[in-house]
This record gives sequence, structure tokens and C-alpha cells, in this order.
Amino acid sequence: MALPYLFVAPAVVLTAAFSLLPLGMLAYRSLFSGGVFATTLQYVGLQNYSNAFSEGGAHALEVTGIYTAGFVVFAMGLGLGVALLLNVNLPGLSRLRAPFIIPVVVPTVATALIWGNLFAPDFGFINRTLAALGLPEANFTSSPSLALLMILTFGVWQFFGENVILYLASLKTLPVDVIEAASVDGAGPWARFRYMRWPLLRRSNVLIWVITTLTGLQTFTQIYVLTNGGPNGATTTALYYIYDQGFVQFNTGLADAMGVILFLISLCVTIVQVALIGRGSRSD
Amino acid sequence: MTSATSAIAPQELVKASRNGPRAKRRRRSRLLSRTAVYAAIAVAVVVVAFPLIWMLLAAVKTNAQILDLRASLWPDQFHWGNIEQAWRSAPFGRWFLNTVIFAGAATLGQILTGMLAGYAFAMYDFPGKRVLFYVLLSGLMVPFATVIVPVVQILGDLHWLNTYQGLIVPNIASALGAFLFRQFFLGAPVELGEAAHMDGASELRIFWNVYAPLGRPIIAAFGIIAFLQNWNNFLFPLIVVNTTSMEVLSQGLSVFQTQFSTNYNLMMAAALIVVAPVLLVAVLAQRHIVEGITLGAVQ
Repeated sequence: MALPYLFVAPAVVLTAAFSLLPLGMLAYRSLFSGGVFATTLQYVGLQNYSNAFSEGGAHALEVTGIYTAGFVVFAMGLGLGVALLLNVNLPGLSRLRAPFIIPVVVPTVATALIWGNLFAPDFGFINRTLAALGLPEANFTSSPSLALLMILTFGVWQFFGENVILYLASLKTLPVDVIEAASVDGAGPWARFRYMRWPLLRRSNVLIWVITTLTGLQTFTQIYVLTNGGPNGATTTALYYIYDQGFVQFNTGLADAMGVILFLISLCVTIVQVALIGRGSRSD
Repeated sequence: MTSATSAIAPQELVKASRNGPRAKRRRRSRLLSRTAVYAAIAVAVVVVAFPLIWMLLAAVKTNAQILDLRASLWPDQFHWGNIEQAWRSAPFGRWFLNTVIFAGAATLGQILTGMLAGYAFAMYDFPGKRVLFYVLLSGLMVPFATVIVPVVQILGDLHWLNTYQGLIVPNIASALGAFLFRQFFLGAPVELGEAAHMDGASELRIFWNVYAPLGRPIIAAFGIIAFLQNWNNFLFPLIVVNTTSMEVLSQGLSVFQTQFSTNYNLMMAAALIVVAPVLLVAVLAQRHIVEGITLGAVQ
């Protein structure tokens, strides 16, 4: 019967054509030199990889690591914190989850532009506040560490609402009666969290960690809008490096080599997810 | 300990705990902690909403007021004309149309291909099923961002750069969508299809008339998230399209920014034009969005 094949064909063929074929091309072409649309390629072995490392790629991976680590800590911490507060059984609280979704769903270009104005030197709201507090002006676009801090602040603001929703959903699945019983037995809020909710959230934590890490690794829009990877490469992440080398500098080989590296990092994150969730479900 | 407390009737215990001094202290501390919860949430909501409120206010100010350090954050006068001026300064109408075509077609495609594949993987057994399923599974493992260079090479070979099909076709298949629909149809009752089969309905009819309508909740939740993701997609249009008339809203806004880099009020008015419709959708479809986010995380 041909029907099942017809049904799965569009999804499978398009996935093969626009995910797997490009991945193969990426791995293959990372071993050659030649532009995006070059017809003649020259085999150079691992030259692109070593060139990528010496020409800013190592720094881009370092920036990616720092950014993603900060992004994961703050987006998960704030997500869980706000979710725990919203999960308290008080009137009206459940309606207040709505504002946290908004930054996640409105166009990132627009919100990044807004934050660009908030972070602006002189007239920007943040510098105004600093001035009012008698603190010196902070130039978020010319200082390398402040530029990364700006990108990180925006990234956390934009994304942590998704973690609020995910943590709220998993908190709702925890056995309420058991936790209430502990409360009657005199367990305070911290003890109830540390010894009852936290262990039960393990699977959710892994899942949310994976989603947050992959999102952090794929941060692009705010870097493009706010810093263009600068100053001096301070906010050039691996993905921004791929874009910059591939479509601005036209060093396709370097972009492809970094693409392979970023793919392998993402793959490790996904494998950790599968492994941990698999282990968790066996012991359940 | 248990034997000592069991001597007192439970009602007595409750009464004692309601009126004792310890209970009063506990009640007061509960009131305090309630207030603390509300206060903490209020602070979080303000921090989250502030940038958008700032945009709204700046969009209707004069540029001079934005730049004046002594001016208040509240507009001295509301210059609603800023929004009209921003709209006329760039082809926003065209960008809206492009975004509707791109996001609309890609989302419809994702729902349809996901539903068809998910249904077939859930309902039928056929040779090669496992292999085809693994192809789809591996699609989930390849973040699109890592393969942008070869994707542009493929689209270039097809002469699809700067076209609608170039924007739409690579985004039609969603491995995640296929998985969600497969999961859903695995849980759908088999008897419905069997009964329809007895009545002489064709396989295609059974899918379209019996099972597809059951999938409505998933279509709504997955569809709204997919639509918002496509609508907000920035990196992909950026590398596929480079003429003003083919650009989508996000891209157009970033060009607008470079052209009006010192007209902060117009910049914010343009941001408002781009944000407002999505904000409206987000408020109206809040429940589906929450469902969609949660659904997408459970793999």
C-alpha cells in the first residue's frame, strides 16, 4: 500500500533535503577551500579548522561558553524562582503568568532595538539611573565586558519566561497532597522545596537545561542588532562567527569548520538529555 | 510521639492550634509571606514589562524629549503622528505582506506535513518505517543555525534566493511537529477508524474526516507556536533575501534602525508597528501559547 509512504514523504524528504543534506555538505566542505558558490573546491584537510581557531574562532568559542553558562544560570534560576512564586496558592497569581510570555513571543529585533535605547550612553534609561545614583557612565557598546553583559541581560529577559511556563507546568504535576502533608508536619517552605520539590523536578531540570542551553548556543538576533559582534569580537559567539565568516567576510571554509564544531557541541547537549532522561525513566 | 497525640481527638487539636499564641504568630507570618510573594511578582512583572512601556512612551515623544536628560519619562505631548510617519518612511505594508505569506505558508506546511507523517507513523506498519522514522529523528538533532551556509548554497543552486519559495520550502518540514502528531495519534482510539472502514470509507477519508478533526487541540497549540516562530524568524530571511521588496518585518526593522539611527522616536514607533500585532495575538491566544510551549518541551 502506497498511502503511508505518501503521508510520510513530505516531512521525510524535506528533512533530508534541508537538514541532513546540508549537514553532510557542511562536514564535507569544511575540508575544502572555496567561496559560498565556488564551483572549484580545493582539498585542504583540517586547514580550515586550524585557521578558524587562529582567526578568532577560539575566542568565539570562549565567548559562546561564557555567554551560554551565564544564560543558563540566570534564565533557569529566574525561571524557577518566578514559577515557584506563581505556584503559591494565592488569588490572582495564576493570571500573572501572562506578562512573562510576552518577551518570548514578540519579535526579538524589536525588543533588542528597545534595549539598545535603554542601554544607550547619555540618554539611555540605564545610564540615567546610574547618573541619578551618582555612579559613572557605563558605555555598553565600547567596553568588551559590558557589551557581553548587555547581550546576556537582554537574552535572559527575552527567554526566561519560557522557563517560567515550563517549570510551572512541571510544578503542577507534583503530588500536592504529599507536599501539604509535609507542611502540616512542620516542614518550612525551604525544606519542602529542597527535599520534596527539587528531587521531583530532576527530569524537568534536565529537559529545561537542554532547551535553555540550545537556545543560548543559537543566540544571534540581539548580537546582530546591538553589537554586530563587537567591540573587538567581544560578543562574537560561534553562531555569529559562522554568519560573519560565511556571509560578510566570505571565508566559507572557516564558517563551515565552525558550523561542524557548533553542531558537535549541540549534539553533545542532546545526547546528555537522552542519556539522563533514559536513566531517570529506568529508575522510576 | 504518635501514641501521645492520638489520645487527643483531632477536632481538639485543630481548635487549640487556631487560638493559641503560636497560631497567631503563624497567621501573621503567613500574611507577611503573602505580601512578600505579591511584592516579588510585582517587581518581576514591572522589570519584564518596562522595556515595552518605555517603547510605547518613546514612540509618541519628540526626539528632543528623549534626548533631554532632565525631561520626564512621561511624554510632554502625545505625538501620535510619529507612528504614521514611521509607517510612511519604509515599505512596512510590503514587509507585512511578505511576513504573512512566509509565516502563513510555512506554518500551514508544518501542520500539514507533521500531521500526515505523524498519522502514518502512528497508524500504519510498512517496510522501512524504522529507517524513515530515524531520518526524521535525526532532523531534530540538527539545529538549523549550524547549517545556514550549506542551506544557502542549496537554495542558490535551485535559484531560489530572494524568492518566496526559498523562504518557505526549507521551513515546511518540522520534525518536532511530526513527533507531536505521532504521539497524539498513538493515543487516538482505533475503533473510530475501524468503524468507518466497515462503513466503506477510504483510508484518505478516515484520516481527513475522522482523525484529523480530533487533532484540533494539537493543531492550535503547535500551530500558534510555529506561527510565532516563523513570524519572528530573523536569521533565515537575513541570509536568503536581500532586496527591500522581499524582506520580512524583522529584517525591515533592522534596516530601518540603521537608516534612522538617531531618530529614536521614529525607531520606537517602528518597533511599535512590528510589536503591536504580535502582542495582540499573544493576549488573545495566551492559553494556546502556554500549551504549545509546554507541548514542545515534552519530547
